Amino acid sequence: MSEMISQAGLRQLLGDCIAAGTVVAGPTRIKPTLILYARLSSPDELLLEGFLRPDNSIKEFVFPKQEKLYGYRIRGNNIELTGRDAPVPSQVVVAARPCDAAALPILDRIFNWDFKDEFYNDRRTATTVVTLACNQHDESCFCTSVGLGPAAERGSDVMLFAHGHGDYEVRCVTDKGRALFHGKTQKSSMEGRADAGPEKRFDPAAVRKFVDRHFEDPFWKEHALTCIGCGTCAFTCPTCHCFDIVDAGPSAGNARYRIWDSCQFPMFTAHASGHNPRAGQPGRQRQRILHKFSIYPEKFGEILCTGCGNCTRNCPEGIGVLSVATEIDHE
Amino acid sequence: MNNANANVYQPDLMEVTSVRRQTADVKSVSLRFIDPERARNFSFKVGQFGIFSAFGYGESTFNICSSSNWKDRIEFCFRKVGRVTEAMWKIEERDIVGFRGPYGNGYPMDVWKGHDLIFLGGGIAMPPIRCAVWYALENRADYGDITIVYGARTVADLVYVDELDEWAKHERVRVIRCVDPGGETPDWEGEIGFVPHVFERAQVKSKDPVVLVIGPPIMIKNTLPILDKMGVTPASVYTSIENRMKCGIGKCGRCNVGPIYVCKEGPVLTMEQLQSLPADY
Repeated sequence: MSEMISQAGLRQLLGDCIAAGTVVAGPTRIKPTLILYARLSSPDELLLEGFLRPDNSIKEFVFPKQEKLYGYRIRGNNIELTGRDAPVPSQVVVAARPCDAAALPILDRIFNWDFKDEFYNDRRTATTVVTLACNQHDESCFCTSVGLGPAAERGSDVMLFAHGHGDYEVRCVTDKGRALFHGKTQKSSMEGRADAGPEKRFDPAAVRKFVDRHFEDPFWKEHALTCIGCGTCAFTCPTCHCFDIVDAGPSAGNARYRIWDSCQFPMFTAHASGHNPRAGQPGRQRQRILHKFSIYPEKFGEILCTGCGNCTRNCPEGIGVLSVATEIDHE
Repeated sequence: MNNANANVYQPDLMEVTSVRRQTADVKSVSLRFIDPERARNFSFKVGQFGIFSAFGYGESTFNICSSSNWKDRIEFCFRKVGRVTEAMWKIEERDIVGFRGPYGNGYPMDVWKGHDLIFLGGGIAMPPIRCAVWYALENRADYGDITIVYGARTVADLVYVDELDEWAKHERVRVIRCVDPGGETPDWEGEIGFVPHVFERAQVKSKDPVVLVIGPPIMIKNTLPILDKMGVTPASVYTSIENRMKCGIGKCGRCNVGPIYVCKEGPVLTMEQLQSLPADY
């Protein structure tokens, strides 16, 4: 026996959440050709079928594009700190893909080694992730190459599996998930299905071995030739987490914010002296791969990539982790 | 202020107690904590850094260039080069600035005990050397002979000039000042030449010294062969590297050099450590 919920039941559940003041976010059509994870004002806005995956990731619900760290008031010589905004009470991210959900436990590590980041942790604790197992993949997907798959539970509180007639099998993974779906499911004899997933395309260990030994290598230059340094790869990546801290001055209410940043930008590493260790795009491309497959694993024991393929899919030049890693492994 | 202990990004407020113009574009600033309890409990290690901020403009990373023995204040020194330092250039006594820290590892002053100390610095690298020099002088019995070679492009670019004179008055301390060729004035009594060459000419005799060398990459590069000839191994040569930072607490990602976060495992590294890292600094 399994538990199931109808699509109408799911929308009802989400509608109740919204009515109770919980933030609900999920895939929704922003423009005719653009589907993103975004906050929903009504459960009817949730898009469950007919597309591969949103172009962004769910990281922005735990690590927003911009977040106020604290405000301040300037009065003559005097400064008064006015604190941060109230934490988000509770939020449900629904129809996340397994490759998005898996990013959260990976990000937990960077935001909690030594110094604990309360902004991230507050949002993370307040968030319930309801993941929809994948029923399709495209040529940019590579979750199976990084140890995940279309039904991977990592980072999810609940897994949903489509039955094929608008119903979903519900498999609760955590207490948070069980609490959300408690009393909302029915018994069923049907089992949901997930896609078999893409074939394995490369071995992350081979990528690490290469990047650890080829810091200076023409490979990086060749790969960066077409890169325009736009940072789209980082911004749509579920695991990229680099940020900047900037002041919004008097005209913007006097506050200090953290905002997303990317190792693909020239200013990212520019020293005050004018020296820049990564003066060109090859060094920046290398850093992105190095960080994902060597630096993060060295520090935190796992790679900084979930195989979602967003970097490749969204790159205006078609560069991405998949092509770089595959080429490295096949060399 | 809500939950002041939890927000790791929230700075302490510090009052500016003095500002000193060191050169045409370098100032040093002295600060004291507004919160008396924080002032009492604060401690740091020389070689650590802070994130200092001008409200309305932003944060910037500087070495805490005062000695950790000075309990009434901390000091930093900056060159006017960007948006935040332009704003800091205007600060005056009694203004309030933000401070987060101390961050990073600092100098292993305990490990250096019993050794002669050689400090080699170029230009704006004097502040991160200054804190260690004062610390060593204040714990004079713990350290052997102290040699300081400090150079800048021109006489007008030397910082903490009065303190160099003060250090030279101590026993077993040798201070050598130098300026790049062409940077001297008619009444210049110091050496003329680049720091590595001036250091080589000085023929410092020392057995098993600890060397702290901070300055432009070319200066460090040209110093290493000289130290090698003196028999100083890369494990005894320290530097402080200056990668761009934002958070200072190992999260924002920009100070990565190979496997290390400079803000956490640095900024103080031995040449032996530095040589094992990719050239990403």
